[in-house]
Amino acid sequence: MDTRDAVAGVLFALPYLALFTVFLLYPLVKGLYMSLFEWNFLTPSKSEFVGLQNYAYLLQDPNFWNALFNTVEFVVLTVPLIVILSLVLALGLNKQLTGKRVLQFVYFSPYVLTVSVVAIVWEQMFAQGGVFTHYLGWLFQGSPLNSEFWAMPALVVTTAWWQTGFYFAVLLAARQNVPETLYEAARLDGAGPWRTLRDITLPHMKNGLLFVVIASTIFQFQVFGQPFLMTEGGPVGSTQTLVLYLYELGFQTRELGFGAAVGYTLLIVLVSISLLNYYLLGVGDE
Amino acid sequence: MSNREATDAERAGVGWLNSRRLYRIGVYVAMYGLAIAFFIPYWRMFQLSVTPMRVIAESGFHWIPPEFTFAVWRRFLLEEPIIYRWAFNTFLISSITTVIVLVVDSMIAFSITRLRWPGSRLIFGIIMASFMIPGYVNIIPLFTLINDLGLVNSYWAIILPFAAGPLGVFLLVQFFRDIPEELEEAARLDGFSPLRIYARIIVPLSTPILTALGLFVFIWSWNQFLWPLIVINRDTLYTLPIGVVTLRSVNALSPNVIMASLAIASLPLFVVFLLFQDKLISSVQMQASTG
Repeated sequence: MDTRDAVAGVLFALPYLALFTVFLLYPLVKGLYMSLFEWNFLTPSKSEFVGLQNYAYLLQDPNFWNALFNTVEFVVLTVPLIVILSLVLALGLNKQLTGKRVLQFVYFSPYVLTVSVVAIVWEQMFAQGGVFTHYLGWLFQGSPLNSEFWAMPALVVTTAWWQTGFYFAVLLAARQNVPETLYEAARLDGAGPWRTLRDITLPHMKNGLLFVVIASTIFQFQVFGQPFLMTEGGPVGSTQTLVLYLYELGFQTRELGFGAAVGYTLLIVLVSISLLNYYLLGVGDE
Repeated sequence: MSNREATDAERAGVGWLNSRRLYRIGVYVAMYGLAIAFFIPYWRMFQLSVTPMRVIAESGFHWIPPEFTFAVWRRFLLEEPIIYRWAFNTFLISSITTVIVLVVDSMIAFSITRLRWPGSRLIFGIIMASFMIPGYVNIIPLFTLINDLGLVNSYWAIILPFAAGPLGVFLLVQFFRDIPEELEEAARLDGFSPLRIYARIIVPLSTPILTALGLFVFIWSWNQFLWPLIVINRDTLYTLPIGVVTLRSVNALSPNVIMASLAIASLPLFVVFLLFQDKLISSVQMQASTG
């Protein structure tokens, strides 16, 4: 081993490693530590060790279960909507259309908006005098954001508008990577559009679709801005999500130890989901 | 291809409205219909921002307002320039973050793929494992750290934690691995130092991926919401995403003011997107292909 290379290697790695250690690894370890205390923000040395009590309390807290349930509901509604919508857009735009670039711009552009802009615009869309109440007021009985039943779907629609463009771009690339010769062959065999879609297009887009499902699941699980800005978790806690719950514990009621325990629980849930996703969807066998 | 389809159809002697043409019309209707649906929020944002408050209050819902005014736009752009201050903060934070990420991540990626040193594999493994950890689970301990370091209400509170993320390392390691070793063999024989190989060979060859990563980091950093909300509480230091939220609470009864502030806050990244549309879309696609 070349010592000059080794020294240079360490020096080149050092700046990132310093950032990584201080701002990622250290908080991760400290979070675990904090979660075992009744943490005192102003004088941390006065924090009281409580062992696993925060976790025990968490499991009995109906607000936690409500937040977990709402988050799962949000993910279960949002992910399929995003996957289907982005697939439709990608397959449609793969065809030769007039005005393709304009269409692509319109579908993709919401993705460059920040969540606060998205949430406030859509809050207006759903408010009294907005598009939805104007045309569908009879259905929502007022603003959907004030309805325990409709508030969550409203956040789902908002999120789909914001996020679909990103996944659409991924799937468009996946579709364009399917060799055209396969379609020629299918046409010679007389396969119809549905069979072509099922037997050629979708199987060959498997990796892209996998990425979309996994990435959007993980991302949507951390939903915060939409409920924080549009519904404040309401009405009656119906849109309270895990990260919102975490935020309130940490930065409004300053229950930092308990909040750290919530953070760790979220970590365990998310890592399990990604491992499960990888396992179930069979990324391993490639 | 569409030409050939048409001639096929003619040869088959089918009429003007054959099934293939009907299918194409269906595709057009669907794609343009969806585009219109996607466009509605933009239109509402713009339309409300130019509708006088009196009209909004008196006559309810419009697609096209009976009269319009750019008074609110003028107010934000000329009379109350706080929004420029926020744009400047956001721009500075995103730019510094982007530069740090590009330099630091390309250095470690170079080190991992080109230089041999004990423990490099293990360290890369740890960085990759951290990829699974969603950023938000860390916010409470991270906040106490930033507070201990005295960085609350500073740009660094936003920049440093973001720059610690592993995405760029991951992408660049993938890319650098595929740069053929032969290109630098000769340079090594000529006695080039690692620093020169990095600066003269690896970095120039990676311009496309560095641009894509830089664009992506810039946009992500620009759009951050939860973290700046936690570490910044002084209005001169707000970023645009936080600033517009405070404008909303101040102007709760004036949707035109709120919408104008949102439209103005969105403009910078829209311009970036217009300029780099293809680059940005390919950077999204690149992430998926390596992820």
